[in-house]
Amino acid sequence: MVTLLMRLLAAGSAVCLLGACSMNGTGGDNGKDAAAGYDPGAAVTITWWTGQTTEAETVAEKLAAEYHSAHPNVTIKTSPGATTTDDLLTKLSAGFAGGSYPDISYAFGSWAGELGASGRTQDLTAFVGDPSFAWQEMPAAARATATIDGKVIGVPALVDNLAVIYNKELFDAMGVQYPSDEWTWEDFRSAAQKLTDSSTNTYGTAYSVSGSEDTTWHLWPLLWQNGGQILDGKKPGFNSEAGVKALETLRVMAVDDKSMYLDQTDEKYVPLFASGHIGMIINGPWSLLDLKKARFGYGVAGLPGVNGDHQTVSGPDLWVLFNHDNANQAGAARDFIKWLTSAATDAKWNLTVGNLPLRTSEKDTPEFQRYVHEYPGGQKFFDNLVNAKQARPTVAGYETMSRNVGDAIAEVLQGAKQPRQALDEAAKKSASVLDN
Amino acid sequence: MSITFAATPRTQPQDLGSRARSRRGRALRRNLTGWGFAAPATALVIGLSIFPAVWALFISRTKWNGISPATGVGWANYGNLVQDPDAAAAAQHTLLLTVLFVPGSILLGMLIAVALNQKIRLIGFYRTCIFVPYVASAAATGILASFVFNPQFGAANETLRRLGLPAQGFLENPGQALLVICLIALWGEVGFCAVVYLAALQDIPQELVEAATVDGASRLRVFLHITLPELRPVTVFTAIWQTITAMQLFDLIWTTTRGGPMNSTQTIVYYIYELAFQTQRLGYGAALAYLLFAVTMLLTLGVLWYSRRTGSEAL
Repeated sequence: MVTLLMRLLAAGSAVCLLGACSMNGTGGDNGKDAAAGYDPGAAVTITWWTGQTTEAETVAEKLAAEYHSAHPNVTIKTSPGATTTDDLLTKLSAGFAGGSYPDISYAFGSWAGELGASGRTQDLTAFVGDPSFAWQEMPAAARATATIDGKVIGVPALVDNLAVIYNKELFDAMGVQYPSDEWTWEDFRSAAQKLTDSSTNTYGTAYSVSGSEDTTWHLWPLLWQNGGQILDGKKPGFNSEAGVKALETLRVMAVDDKSMYLDQTDEKYVPLFASGHIGMIINGPWSLLDLKKARFGYGVAGLPGVNGDHQTVSGPDLWVLFNHDNANQAGAARDFIKWLTSAATDAKWNLTVGNLPLRTSEKDTPEFQRYVHEYPGGQKFFDNLVNAKQARPTVAGYETMSRNVGDAIAEVLQGAKQPRQALDEAAKKSASVLDN
Repeated sequence: MSITFAATPRTQPQDLGSRARSRRGRALRRNLTGWGFAAPATALVIGLSIFPAVWALFISRTKWNGISPATGVGWANYGNLVQDPDAAAAAQHTLLLTVLFVPGSILLGMLIAVALNQKIRLIGFYRTCIFVPYVASAAATGILASFVFNPQFGAANETLRRLGLPAQGFLENPGQALLVICLIALWGEVGFCAVVYLAALQDIPQELVEAATVDGASRLRVFLHITLPELRPVTVFTAIWQTITAMQLFDLIWTTTRGGPMNSTQTIVYYIYELAFQTQRLGYGAALAYLLFAVTMLLTLGVLWYSRRTGSEAL
């Protein structure tokens, strides 16, 4: 336990000493524009935490060098920031406590609410509102994630969405028609049933029941398609009729049909799909990287729908910009991020490392052609971006709520509880963390 | 086997005829030398253990996500803990794990130690074999075990199938997961108990055994009336040690089930980790950590008090 306490402390050593001064010390959000009086010609050094490892980090460093040679007065100190992207939040909180945080950091979309509440972020609302930024070219869900309480705190760094990825060979072998964009969840269920074969350990589909965000966010599109909402004001709203119906859709496959492989870890279902034991999974474009080595042909289709509503969910990540009370630093960081996320540069960044493009205008670039050629199905994921109509809420307390909903889903899919009871319990547990 | 590192009594040269001042100077020098040796370690312990532990107490009285400024909430975190069903469930799991693990590892350890105390060929090799799992990191043990106990493709189910028994869910079955984890932990930790008992067995004066045998005692009676009572101090030590091990089991759970399925293997320590580092509720997590600390401390003191009273001191 002592180690745990030590880690607790390392996470933000001097909470009481420094926490108190965070709002009025350096880097506070005092209503003034962080880049007011910015001189684009001034010599300045900015720090960039990329959150990337190995290959992508090399590309990032190359881009930073490229920017430096075009703007010799701007030096960009580039580093991954932490050993894994997950650890970045801990590093950032320690950095806040110690007063040494970067100008730009990669951040998961789910951290946005907490980072926004830190009072250390820049307000980019006016900056991205400028027509030259072409903010509207980025997917709506990603823009919503970057906006906390009406203030834009960062720029989307990565966009994705969930779609159906299916094993063509298994479908052919069982004589089942390939999924289409017009499928209903009933079509999905009956296909999953036909693909399931216990003698060969083959399942129609899969779902993670680890109780993590991976468990939770797969439910949100179903909830939205049924007309439900995650939050009702500041209260949990997912335990509505729509929520119960959404979870029931999954329950019948897992419990009644037993056509759903339940993954306790988040990490097994994609490899199992890649080894040909699962007919179809609902996952994002990152799975395509794992499927490069698969020996069978696979296809991608939009999510099944409810009454013709096929909306999906997006889990965008962000470049969050921090305020150091230095107009030149803030301005240079903004200009760099504008350049990095511009259609021309992003094609060299996201498309090269195997992600979807940030902007719709990139679809005509040669890099995009190369991407869809290298990753079959990439085009479908790109087209599916327009179906990501709603964003996950960016409120403090989302992570705790997500954990409670994840536990509820896990219990229902393993037959321990009924949807209504499980969701009501999750809502009750989450109410207190959401309302303050 | 004694756990305290008692300072060996030293004979000191007699201070004949020296003056008071020089004696004081020498005492001071000796004191400083002593502190010079102890200071680095003391600084480490204070800086890396005591200081964070005290800070954590302050954190436990706040609501803090590690990023926004912390707000003081008094003892509210501790109050909420009492009503938290997840904390109660985690406490239950920890208790069950401890109740199964501690007696299990002591009995098995004693049994193996007695077996390894025989004069047979290759005994050194056997002793090494028993100790190897203890040296292997729990992370490696966990990953290995999750292969063996994989319900679809693991060796355990394959063995059951060959024996004509029904396949089990093991780590993916909420009713079995904690038992399987206990089994894996026993496999990993029993080597430690065995080695401690082996040392204790070899410490038992041979005359006692011989005298009993001459008096006509059977081997079983020798074991019950000579060996067991002689092992009592060591048993107090292993009981405390294994209780602490069981209550702090984390890496094994992390590498096998991550608290699942359906939180059935979520112990207190794992729940603390999840609170503090997964959902960023550092204040609440610290409060639970303090509660665990208090319980462990009370348990240890209780066992020590009991063993002092019954006269089988080990620590």
